[in-house]
Amino acid sequence: MSDHAILITGANGGIGNATARYFLEHDESCYVYLGIRSGTNEADALAAEFPGRCGILSLDVTKAGEWESSLEKVAGENRVITVLVNNAGHHDDHLMANMPMDSWTDVIESNLSSVFLGSQAVLRGMMGERFGRIINISSLSALLAPLGQTNYAAAKAGVVGMTGSLAKEVARMGITVNAICPGYIETSATGAGDPEETKARKKAVPMRRFGQPREVAAAVFFLASKDAAYITGATLKIDGGIL
Amino acid sequence: MSESSTLHEEIKAILIDELMLDVEMDEIGDETPLMGPDSLGLDSVDALQLVVAIEKKFGFKISDPEAAKGILRCVKTIADAIRESKSA
Repeated sequence: MSDHAILITGANGGIGNATARYFLEHDESCYVYLGIRSGTNEADALAAEFPGRCGILSLDVTKAGEWESSLEKVAGENRVITVLVNNAGHHDDHLMANMPMDSWTDVIESNLSSVFLGSQAVLRGMMGERFGRIINISSLSALLAPLGQTNYAAAKAGVVGMTGSLAKEVARMGITVNAICPGYIETSATGAGDPEETKARKKAVPMRRFGQPREVAAAVFFLASKDAAYITGATLKIDGGIL
Repeated sequence: MSESSTLHEEIKAILIDELMLDVEMDEIGDETPLMGPDSLGLDSVDALQLVVAIEKKFGFKISDPEAAKGILRCVKTIADAIRESKSA
């Protein structure tokens, strides 16, 4: 028997790191793997704060081989991933007329192909346990389709489609698959922009504020729980009322 | 009960318990087709579940999709394949 564990990709960033922290603070028995591509500062700090309850996996989510080696490491530690939070990804905005092909490919790979690779990698283990939770962090851009984000909006909308389809495939096996579409969330990325632009964005939010990473983490935590067993194929937007 | 019929019963138990088929054990014949016309009506998702359950219970991995079609034809073909893998 292997112990159940949680894997959160992009765990150095705002939502990923906050989600890992939320699990560690709210479930004393859980073990969390922090998937990190580069730079471990935030993940290291979390692992130090919760000794013996966190593992760091060096994982480029766009590479099938790295998923394989990461899961081998997890199995070697006698654990099985039963909660996967596909959070890693990035955007690289351009008007389509000027968008370099690399920008299109990178954004599709990091936001969409990564979800395919990660979900496929953990499915067998979840099927064996007859329990699993896959939570895909999509984006409000999937639904809003803002200009300048043809690559990102397509990738994130793809995640929503994949979520619904996979949810049907594995529903009988005790595995649920859901997507979350965060709107403006207060992270280092949103805080780094032009103050006037930030002000205008806040004005566009009915709640007149950006969300906190912790407010997304709380929803992930619920969807990962046993109490959320009948919720699958859902897309939950967390956007302060924009849509 | 022979070793062979015990294995058949174990496979039938997987079909009922893991795949949640709404049938009794004695309604599943050893050579009743699992898929297709006049079968138990398994679909591709059931087949995938069955492969995972067989691997977990008997340590028998079915990785070749072409071979899987023959192995998953009925309870008897599954049992034969498991026995063959153990004697190999």
